[in-house]
Amino acid sequence: MSAVPVVADISYDALLDDPYPIFRRVRDTAPAVFVAAANLTLVTRFDDIMKIERDPATYSSDNPASLVNKVMGPTFMRKDGAEHAVGRKAIEPSFRPGTIKEHWAPKFAEICERLLNSVIKAGEADLFPALAAPMASLSLMEMIGFKEMPWETLALWSQSLIDGAGNYSRDAEIERKAMAAGAGIDAAIEAVLDHHREHPNPSILSSMVRADPPMPIEEIRANIKVIIGGGLNEPRDAILTLTLGLLANPAQKHSVLAKPELWPTAFEEAVRWISPIGMYPRRVTREADLSGVTLPEGLQIGLCVGAANRDDRRFADPDQFDIFRPRQSHLAFGAGAHFCAGTWVSRQTVGRIVVPMLFERLANLRLRDDAPPVLRGWVFRGPVSLPVRWDA
Amino acid sequence: MPKIIFINADGATREVVASTGQSVMEAALAAGVSGIVAECNGAAACATCHCYFDSNAGCTGEIGEHENEMLGFTASERTADSRLSCQVRVVAEMEGMTIRVPSVQ
Ligand code: HEM
Ligand code: FES
Repeated sequence: MSAVPVVADISYDALLDDPYPIFRRVRDTAPAVFVAAANLTLVTRFDDIMKIERDPATYSSDNPASLVNKVMGPTFMRKDGAEHAVGRKAIEPSFRPGTIKEHWAPKFAEICERLLNSVIKAGEADLFPALAAPMASLSLMEMIGFKEMPWETLALWSQSLIDGAGNYSRDAEIERKAMAAGAGIDAAIEAVLDHHREHPNPSILSSMVRADPPMPIEEIRANIKVIIGGGLNEPRDAILTLTLGLLANPAQKHSVLAKPELWPTAFEEAVRWISPIGMYPRRVTREADLSGVTLPEGLQIGLCVGAANRDDRRFADPDQFDIFRPRQSHLAFGAGAHFCAGTWVSRQTVGRIVVPMLFERLANLRLRDDAPPVLRGWVFRGPVSLPVRWDA
Repeated sequence: MPKIIFINADGATREVVASTGQSVMEAALAAGVSGIVAECNGAAACATCHCYFDSNAGCTGEIGEHENEMLGFTASERTADSRLSCQVRVVAEMEGMTIRVPSVQ
């Protein structure tokens, strides 16, 4: 067994700009590599991440020192075993496939319709602010069970919490914004909690207060923050990534438009190609041997599912967006006990409602040569700008 | 420790000696049965551990509400025999039982 090798010649900006060449290098170096720019030991191979996710006793989601706990409070997402299962079970009713189909899908289709109607005459737009961000925000607002508010408010809370959870340099302004978001969310919960107690409904807050046993208020606050921090960016980015993948590959676009039953496959390929969550953390609870590398007790590791989803040991020609590649499971929704609770609602919303409607309503949708898309990020990654034109 | 026989869609069979108390999914993965993906490792959230059990066997337990809904999203056709193998406990009465693994998860 060997020690964890170190890579020190990568800049943080390079990682944000395009992590994939770096992921490839790290993947080909060793099963686990300390990347100085990220200040973290990264695991990048598909099979290793799968192995880790099947062994939560050695690789824990619980980390008392993490900023997530400080910024959001005690959440099941950063717990293991029974403690995790109780919280997860409490929210389950809101995420059931049947509830999604019958209750959420029609509401989300209506939101999407409204957003498209408001831009359709313009003939051009940046799809990030015009569609993807408001869509993700307004649908999450409905699912949580908040009173209506401007989509920008929830989006700002979400970003402030994410920045706060990653604020390892303890920047005072970032901390202030995260605390302000937290206070705003606590007040928004307070404003509707009695309503949800008295009128049972499919929303997440309703599921929480009706759970057996009911979720304590401090956990409701923390878990709603996690859901706001972790349920807005990803569908937003998946909408843009799927759209980009198809616009940049016209032959595949034509196939999907001719055969709508291909939409679910196209969605899975999009989140494999550019995974909205590129990395999430685990903590090594006891010395472990990961495919020949010794991981010491207490080590923080980052599972780079964005890298694993481009592991050429599993996916041929992994950097290509190719909806016709052989069907194989990916890690965009994670694996193991913390497998994304929002998987099915995202599949439905992004892959069956929003992007199909976008291509149906905006005729001859196309990228702009004079304004190429901009992609950014490695922990979270997606287009931050996707300018397009269509025939109005 | 009942012996369970897994049959893949291509007809290949595999005998597995399973421990009572573990889930059928866990027993299959531990023995390296192919065709069961189990992305969520038993959280009943992924529907990639779908198998066909004899619905008249009487030893596979009740289908829970959540499992029932999740079965609507399996990649292979749902039949009266469909279960999520992570939600089915191994019991001694399964001795000699056959479980069919679908072609896609
Ligand atoms: C394309 C969209 C999405 C992607 C790619 C995605 C990805 C992920 C990933 C990788 C994890 C695992 C994190 C970890 O183990 O630390 C996760 C967990 C989670 N996701 Fe998602 N997510 C998406 C959409 C959503 C949505 C829309 C919601 C809520 C409305 C949501 C709610 C959650 C929750 C509650 C967890 C924690 C589950 C647990 O700890 O048991 N996700 N997601
Ligand atoms: S392992 Fe995911 S549903 Fe059974």
